[in-house]
Order: sequence, then structure tokens, then C-alpha cells
Amino acid sequence: MSVKKKFKGLSDKAVAWLFIGPSVFLLLAINIYPLIYAIRMSFTNFYANKIGREPEFVGLKNYIKVLNKEAIWEKMQVTANFMFWTLLLQAVIGLGLALLLNRKFKGNELLTTLIVLPMMLSPAVVGVFWTYLYNPQVGLFNYVINFFHDFGSFDMIGSSVLAPWSIVIVDTWMWTPFTMLICLAGLRSVPNYLYEAAEVDRASKWQQFIYITLPSVLPFLLLALLFRGIENFKMFDMVVELTSGGPGSATELASINLKREAFEKWKTGYSSAFAVILFVTIFGFGNVYVKVMNKIKER
Amino acid sequence: MDTSRSYLEPSSFSKKLAATIIIVYTVITLIPISWMVMTSFKNVNSAISYPPEVFFEPSLEGYVNLFTNRSRQSQEYLDSLPPPENWYEELVRSREMVITGPSKFLGRYSNSMIIGFGSTFASVFLGALAAYAFSRFRVPLKDDLLFFILSTRMFPPIAVAVPIFIMYRKLGLGDTHLGMIILYTVVNLSLAVWLLKGFMDEIPKEYEEAAMIDGYSRLQAFFKVVLPQAMTGIAATAIFCMIFSWNEYAFAVLLTQFNAQTAPPFIPTIIGEGGLDWPAIGAGTTLFLLPVMIFTIILRKHLLRGITFGAVRK
Repeated sequence: MSVKKKFKGLSDKAVAWLFIGPSVFLLLAINIYPLIYAIRMSFTNFYANKIGREPEFVGLKNYIKVLNKEAIWEKMQVTANFMFWTLLLQAVIGLGLALLLNRKFKGNELLTTLIVLPMMLSPAVVGVFWTYLYNPQVGLFNYVINFFHDFGSFDMIGSSVLAPWSIVIVDTWMWTPFTMLICLAGLRSVPNYLYEAAEVDRASKWQQFIYITLPSVLPFLLLALLFRGIENFKMFDMVVELTSGGPGSATELASINLKREAFEKWKTGYSSAFAVILFVTIFGFGNVYVKVMNKIKER
Repeated sequence: MDTSRSYLEPSSFSKKLAATIIIVYTVITLIPISWMVMTSFKNVNSAISYPPEVFFEPSLEGYVNLFTNRSRQSQEYLDSLPPPENWYEELVRSREMVITGPSKFLGRYSNSMIIGFGSTFASVFLGALAAYAFSRFRVPLKDDLLFFILSTRMFPPIAVAVPIFIMYRKLGLGDTHLGMIILYTVVNLSLAVWLLKGFMDEIPKEYEEAAMIDGYSRLQAFFKVVLPQAMTGIAATAIFCMIFSWNEYAFAVLLTQFNAQTAPPFIPTIIGEGGLDWPAIGAGTTLFLLPVMIFTIILRKHLLRGITFGAVRK
């Protein structure tokens, strides 16, 4: 221990604060301060576009307004619907792909890299080019669907029945590789001796899958879904560029509605209350997610 | 022992079946991207022909349209002009138009570069410092601080956009490169800290301790011993930060307009005559996605770690 004191330069404690300080300061200034500001605004009737007009304190009025507004619950329903289908499809397809890739055939590394490409792309740009694929007159997607079964002309983005599915398809196309990669890591973490022991006990392949494979992958799959859940709860960019929330409000997710209230109608107080409600919901998710993550790390 | 291994190994039939399904999936999943790249080499008419053309005569019209502004002119006016000086002028004139100047695309693209590189450098630098401290020292409330850092990533961007908008307006940072660099640095910090902490945990403490016994100070040991050791991790983290800044849309569309606008909000606004100019959008998309695809291939070994904030390592 006495050796430690002989080192020259700053003490470890000083170095620790010097190293962490700037990051914490920046996060406080650009993340926490705005958040506190938003919480304060949520109790006022502030309009950010009306400079010079003093905001008045209105108590919980904004929160009551948000929670009682039927349209908000519609947006929440749209968001929940979007989350349910994207997470379900991504879990099933992602796990399926991971199981197949785990057969370790030749070239599976190259194929994995290729499959992963969509999720690295800019969601907004993805949204733009899918409007082209979905175009009812010239779109490739419509052509391919009609090639297999002639539905005649249909408009994925313009129809309020199909539009929710149009965003589910794009999100699934883009993010299935995410669950796939994480599930694959889970599959590779299962020690071989478990299967060897099962073989010795004459467990069938199906039993091995149910009792060994599935329980080992489950925490990984859960982690992937929590990540996707948080991301899709905040979903904004891809959907804005693809359907911009329409037709009507068929695909108007919570974030898109928030943007309209905050940046088009400039109802800062009201939209801040909505933002705080969304944030509290996500934070709840986040807590669960960190717990699952820690469980995985312990293994 | 050889036989005991073989029953765990999937049979050659099941391997072939798996490979076939995966190849089919790969082909299908790459069609949208390939289609956009193909569209960028079509001319305006063949991009809107039905049924969609798989075989077409390649044209650079999309790229020309992406980089230029054009205006339609009468045939008489075009005849009165001196002959076109280069191939792209000729191409534009064959559409009865003249080039009136460069488009905004190059500016938006370089904004993406400046903001991307600036914020990546800053967040990796600050992140490396914080990660080292979290990795090596006893920091009071360490787990809470780490969770706090991670939780900032969970904010919906729109929820903090209004206060940042107001704050930036007061500070004169609205629609500036510096403002966007600071903002993206902060958003990326959580990823940088978490990823780099994982990489630094893997570097044995003994290295820098040995250096310190040889007379290095803690700071010297960090810069001369630890950082070079962590280079792979730093590079991987940097690429992840770069990809995030490159792809970011929500803050960019809300907080920038003319001066510091990046490419993602710009690409959707490329409009030709009579609607969206698909070859030009295809060209912009292709040029914009290309770096990310290259990065992904470089990153493939660290992909898993990056997308899970270091929670899952291979």
C-alpha cells in the first residue's frame, strides 16, 4: 500500500473526478436540464412560439387534459399495436434465423453480415425508399404481391387498414437481424456438454430444444425485445418519412403526435406533460431492462 | 472421441436445408436495398415504369439530378446555346433543361460528415476518460451513475427537443454545427461509456501498474499504456457513434434548417418535375448508405457488443 503513495502526479481520486466530470456535466446540461425544464413547463400554459408572453402556472391541468383526451389513448393504442406485432414477428423470425445460422454451415458468417445490413441504415432514409417500394402505381412491393396473387391495385400507405401493416413490415424487415444476432449469441453460449449429457440420457431432439436450448436463449431474446420495445415506443423517424402518421391518424404513434403538438401547434405546456408521461413509462421499462441485463451478465 | 462429437454436429442434410433457407432470406432482405441502388442508375422514365424494370439501360441521370439544380427551357433557347461542354450538360439538355447551379446535396452531405466526425471524436474521447475511471477506480455511487448515464439514452428525442430548442435559441446554437456536435456527443456518450468500460475491463490492470512503478504518472499510464491497448475497442466504439450521428433524424429535422442541416432530413425533399425524383433520391440514398455498409462490414466482429451497449459479448 505504501508503494501507491510514491506514484507521481495526481491522486487516483482526482483523476477519477477529472475523467468522469466532463461527461456528467454534459449529460446534466444537455439531457437533465432540458428534462427538468420540460417538467417545469408541463405545469404551465407556455407556448414556445409566443416570445415575451409570461407563462402562467396551471397546476396539473395539462396532465388531466392529456390523460382525459380520447385521441391520446388512440395514439397509445396505435403505438401498442405497432409494438405488439413488430416484437412478436421479430422474436419469432429472429429466433428462427438464429437457430438456422447456428447449424454452422459454410459461409454463415458472410450471410450473417449481409442479413444485418438493414438495421444499420438511417431509419428516415429507409422510410423514404420504402414509399417508393409501396407506391401503388409503380412499387416493387405491390408488383411482387400481385405476382403471387392478383389483388388488383392497393395502396399500403394510403389505406387506413393497410398503413399500420406497412410500418410493421418495414420495422420487421429492418430490425429482425437485431433479435437474430442476440439470440445467436445466446445459442452459442450453451455449453456442449449439456447436449452430450442429454444424448446419453436419450432425450429426443425436441426435448433437448424445449429443456436446454429454449431456456438458455430466453434471457437473450428478452433483452433483445426490451431494447426493441424501448426503441419502438419512441419510434419516430422511419414512420414520419414513410406515412407521416397517416392516413388520418392511422399510424400516428405517440412520438409523432408529440411532435405535432410541440412543434406544429407549439403547445409547449401541454406537450411537455405528454412527454413526461411518455418518459415515465419508458423509464419503467428501462428499469426492468437493466435488471434483465444484469441477470444475463451474472451467468 | 471422434464419434462422440459427431452426433452433436448437425447432419449434412439439415445443414444444407438451413443454408438454403438462410440464403433465400438473405436474398429477400437485400432486395429493397439493391432496388434503391438499381433505381439510382435508372433514368426518370424507367424508374416509374410498370411492371418494374429489372433490366434497364444504366444512366447517370439520377446522380446528375442529385448534384445539380436545373430549369426547363424552350427548344429555341437551347438551340441558341453553344454546344454542351461535358457529358452531364448534354444529358440535362437532352431533357430540354439547363443546369442552373449545384444543388444543396453536397453541403448537406458535408454537414453530416462534419457533425458526425466532430461528435464521434468528442464522445469517444470523453467516453474513454469516464470509462477508464469507472473501470479502475472506486467511484462513489458507481452503479447509479452508470445507470444514470444509460438512462439518458432512453429519452424520446422529441421530449427534450423543445427545451433544447429554446436553450439553443438563447445561446445562439440553433441550426449551427457546434450545437449539433454537442447534442450528438451527449446522446452518444452513454454508448461510448458503456462500450469502452467493457473494453477497458478486459485490459489487465497490471500493465499500467507496471508502468507506474517505472515512474509514469497515472495520466501518463492512461495515455501511453491503456489507450493504445484499447485501440480496437475505441475504433469499434467510434464507428458505432459515427453511425448513430450519421443516421440521426429527429433532432436534425427539428433543430436544423439551412445552415447545419444534415443529409437524412434533406434526402426526402429531393423533388423533380411532377413528384419525387426517384433516381435522384436513389442516388442520394446510395451515396448516404455506402459508408454505413462499409463500416458494418469492418465492425462485424463487434456488432453484437455495440448494439447491446456491451451487455452481450461473444
